[in-house]
Amino acid sequence: MTSEALLLPILLPAILGVIVLLIPSRWKGIAGVITFLGTAILVVWAWLLFTSGEILLSLPWVEGVITFDLRSYPLGSFILLWVAIFGFLISLYSLVKLRTHPRLREYYGYYLFTLAVAAGSVLADNFLVFLFFWEGLMVTLYGLVSLGSVNAPRTATKAFLISAFCDFCLILGISMLWAINGTPKMSGITIAPDGLAAVSFLLMVIGAAGKAGAMPFHTWIPDAAIDAPVSVMAFLPASLEKLLGIFLLARICLEFFALKANSTLSIILMTLGAVTIVLAVLMALIQKDFKKLLSFHAISQVGYMILGIGTGTLIGIAGGLFHMLNHAIYKSGLFLGAGSIENRTGTTELKKLGGLAKEMPVTAIGFAVCALAISGVWPLNGFVSKEMIFHGSLETGYVIFAVAAWVGAIFTFASFLKAGHAIFLGPRSKDVPRVKESQAGILIPILALAAFCILFGVASALPLNTFIQPVLQGHIPAGEALDLSSHPLDVFNPVALISIGMLAVGFGLHLFGWNRAQKQAHLASETIHHLPVLGTLYDWSEARRLDLYEQGIIALNGFSNFVFKTIDRPIDFFFEKILVAVGSAFVRFFRSLHNGYFPNYLSWCLAGLVIILLLLRVF
Amino acid sequence: MSIPFIAVPLILASIMPLIGKISKRFLPDLLTNTAFLFLLLYSVFAGRQTLLNGADVWKAWWFGEALNITLVLDGFSALMLLTISLIGLSVALYSINYMEHYEAKANFYALLLIMIAGMNGLVLSNDVFTLYLFLEVAAIASYGLIAFGLQRDQLEASLKYLLLSSVATAFILLSIAIVFGLTGSLQLDKIAEGISASNGLPVAGFCMALFIMGFGLKAAIVPFHAWLPDAHSSAPAPISAMLSGVLIKVSGIYALTRVCFTIFGMQGGLGQVLMLLGIVSILIGAIQALGQNDIKRMLAFSSISQIGYIILGLGVGTPLGILGAMFHLFNHAIAKGLLFLNSGALEQATGTRELDRMGGLARKMPITAGTSVVGSLAIAGVPPLNGFWSKLLILLALVEAKYYGLALIAALAGILTLWYYLIIQRRAFFGKLNETWNHITEAPFWMSFSVLLLATACVLIGLLFPAVILDWIKPAADTFAAGISQTIGLLGF
Repeated sequence: MTSEALLLPILLPAILGVIVLLIPSRWKGIAGVITFLGTAILVVWAWLLFTSGEILLSLPWVEGVITFDLRSYPLGSFILLWVAIFGFLISLYSLVKLRTHPRLREYYGYYLFTLAVAAGSVLADNFLVFLFFWEGLMVTLYGLVSLGSVNAPRTATKAFLISAFCDFCLILGISMLWAINGTPKMSGITIAPDGLAAVSFLLMVIGAAGKAGAMPFHTWIPDAAIDAPVSVMAFLPASLEKLLGIFLLARICLEFFALKANSTLSIILMTLGAVTIVLAVLMALIQKDFKKLLSFHAISQVGYMILGIGTGTLIGIAGGLFHMLNHAIYKSGLFLGAGSIENRTGTTELKKLGGLAKEMPVTAIGFAVCALAISGVWPLNGFVSKEMIFHGSLETGYVIFAVAAWVGAIFTFASFLKAGHAIFLGPRSKDVPRVKESQAGILIPILALAAFCILFGVASALPLNTFIQPVLQGHIPAGEALDLSSHPLDVFNPVALISIGMLAVGFGLHLFGWNRAQKQAHLASETIHHLPVLGTLYDWSEARRLDLYEQGIIALNGFSNFVFKTIDRPIDFFFEKILVAVGSAFVRFFRSLHNGYFPNYLSWCLAGLVIILLLLRVF
Repeated sequence: MSIPFIAVPLILASIMPLIGKISKRFLPDLLTNTAFLFLLLYSVFAGRQTLLNGADVWKAWWFGEALNITLVLDGFSALMLLTISLIGLSVALYSINYMEHYEAKANFYALLLIMIAGMNGLVLSNDVFTLYLFLEVAAIASYGLIAFGLQRDQLEASLKYLLLSSVATAFILLSIAIVFGLTGSLQLDKIAEGISASNGLPVAGFCMALFIMGFGLKAAIVPFHAWLPDAHSSAPAPISAMLSGVLIKVSGIYALTRVCFTIFGMQGGLGQVLMLLGIVSILIGAIQALGQNDIKRMLAFSSISQIGYIILGLGVGTPLGILGAMFHLFNHAIAKGLLFLNSGALEQATGTRELDRMGGLARKMPITAGTSVVGSLAIAGVPPLNGFWSKLLILLALVEAKYYGLALIAALAGILTLWYYLIIQRRAFFGKLNETWNHITEAPFWMSFSVLLLATACVLIGLLFPAVILDWIKPAADTFAAGISQTIGLLGF
């Protein structure tokens, strides 16, 4: 392929986005069709790019000072391909689910712009070009989230501000890196992370982790789960943002900086990952709304990816990247499933649902596959990538991180058992009338994603060899062979057995809770909810006392109140009272001089003349 | 080339009363406006010619005998002629509607044309006596125009102006006499030669002081300003616009700078005295403007304050300062003309000039309100309007010449300016509509048209300021800065 081919994934969605926004409102129905066809082309094109190896493009930009560099290479085109695939599946889903949305053209417009800037940031080979597209994501994120319910604009603002903070850190980190290297080119940089470079590393990690939604930059996601359209959740926090955030994290750890296993920075990253896994999954466990539960899992799973990449070991990094892909697959599958349920029953609150398996069997199957995959049940894809991350963390020698990951697995399984039990099994709830299965347009994407879960689990060598191996090809220490089969990924080995043991514990936990809650599935987690220490933490969290954004807003309000009272009011007093008083004193004085007597005025003139005469002598 | 500037208005003025006998309105309106349009176009043409070919010199003759009178049209004159004609045209257009309720429109036009002829002649003259002559022509016409309504306060204002003005002209005449006695010439350049040859006679300083006082009174610099608030607020609105916009600049600043700078140059403390007078005028004018309730008095005091800026810029004496002063002169003429015309529209609609009796008029008079916002912001120096650039140039010149204190005061006074213009906006146009004014309507067509013309000029000059500066202001400032030498060179002495 020629190097101009790199422009298509950016220009095509951008141009289509403009067209979609300009469609007359009578024909706005075709916006979805345009998007669907456009994303289909994108998938094919991304596949072609992926199979063509490295392609470079350099165009003059800003007066020759900055060049518009694009580069397609295994990691980038792998992400681009999956961005396109998710874009395609979710646009098919949107065709049905959002048919009646009042702001349909805006939805598809932002959707296509998101794809354009995502493609741009994946392909960029110049930090300035990269930032240009990366910041575009922030804007389209705001646009898409704000299309939801009444509270959506507030949540969108929250998402925007948190992203803005993370992006600010990213820009700062990139500037430092630029200062160290003296070039804004992205490819070909590799420096050891020490001194200023370490600061730059950490700042850029904040940018990447923030985009992926790791703690403590996650708090907008659960809010958005309630407020934003469900397809936006499947599109952004579940798939695209994970892909892009982890893509950037991988580039930071693998390319820009040579992250060593067991270095301080590696441990910081692993800690960030482990904490995110455990805390977020604990939050997920007690949720009473399916979409909110999913959103906390979207945070928790990021922890696995960061943990995997943070290990700095080959198997860990491979696991982290594979988990990113797997997570994007099953989590969008789950969100789309939630959308399917919402589509028919009008709610995703666990309490109001129950016994839907008979009426919505296809959704139930899709859900079951994806839920088992996210819980890491053999032989689905989640199992494989989690195994790789366990191996990686054990290899570093810090068992605690592996333990944290296992603890996460317990609660993940328990919470999905609760959700599945409460939605599809048990007695049919009285709150919702009888429903039909969703339309084909909704089911096909779900089933496709579920199929991917099975395929990538059963034949895990296929995705590992196709996608992950080329990515890591250039990053193996000299003299070592790239062999992802070096660690046992089957079910009969100590690590896998421990994992399976954890799943058993999770199952037991759910049964115990379910029994204690008089066989009401949606209350199965209440036992844990009301444990002594955890209970308090949960209460704080429900009251948003652990939400840095909300606390920051409160602190800012306090600060502005303080400034208002101690600085602004006195200044205002000065202008409104003192200055006016002084001003009117002057005015009164001069006014009294202008009394309308001609002799008076004449005497001023003469006095003025005398003064001028004197001055002309003096100077 | 320069003679039509004087001849056209003068001839038209002389037949205007006769025309008034034939047609009360239509012909005087038509002829006057045609004449002003011609003057405007001709001044643009003359300005371009000056820019291309240098100054134009016309020597007066009488049956083949050369009189010792020359008219010189250089860059500075061209700028002033443009200013006079532009404001003149707007005022004449405005008067079509505004002067309806006065009797004897033809006489009004005649006086206005005489004033224009006087100002044009003053701007073109190159010797002190011709200058004095035209100064008095313009002044006498203006006495008549101020008193045109024949009300008590108008007559009083006119008389006050007449008396103080005659003091000024007496001093000017005295100074001219002394200078003539010293050098034996009335030509500016010859006087300059004579003065520099006499090498700092004390009496030269005395003459300078007399000129500053005399022309300063015409320009209404503090402390010679006391006549202005009465005169400018009592006159009919178009005349106020003419007086505040143009007359004080022509017979005050132009004459002062032409005479003093050509004769004495920047020496003997002239610059410092001008800067002192400038800063005092800025402050006292601004403070007084703050305390006014009569909109036209407020505008009149604002003129004193803005004249202060021009004098301040001239006093710095650097090319940048002079450039800024020239530009501010031009901009202030347009913006202040606009504001006085607006005040006339308000007075005609509401019958009052008291700000606290107005309120919320923007809804009833959108064009007047909108253009008045433009004019106010332009004078207050809000970017990107024209006044911003000229004030900026003056401030830059002050900073460049290391007069930091003056720059600070001038900048702070800019805030005062904004303050009292916002007072006008708030009390006259915004806020709750005073119930009394429910019935009023927007000003008639020609009044609205002329204010729109000036407001457009404010915006366009602000946006296109580099072109305006290069084509009009810089030649004027250059002529001015070159001073004596250029004039001498041109005349071939």
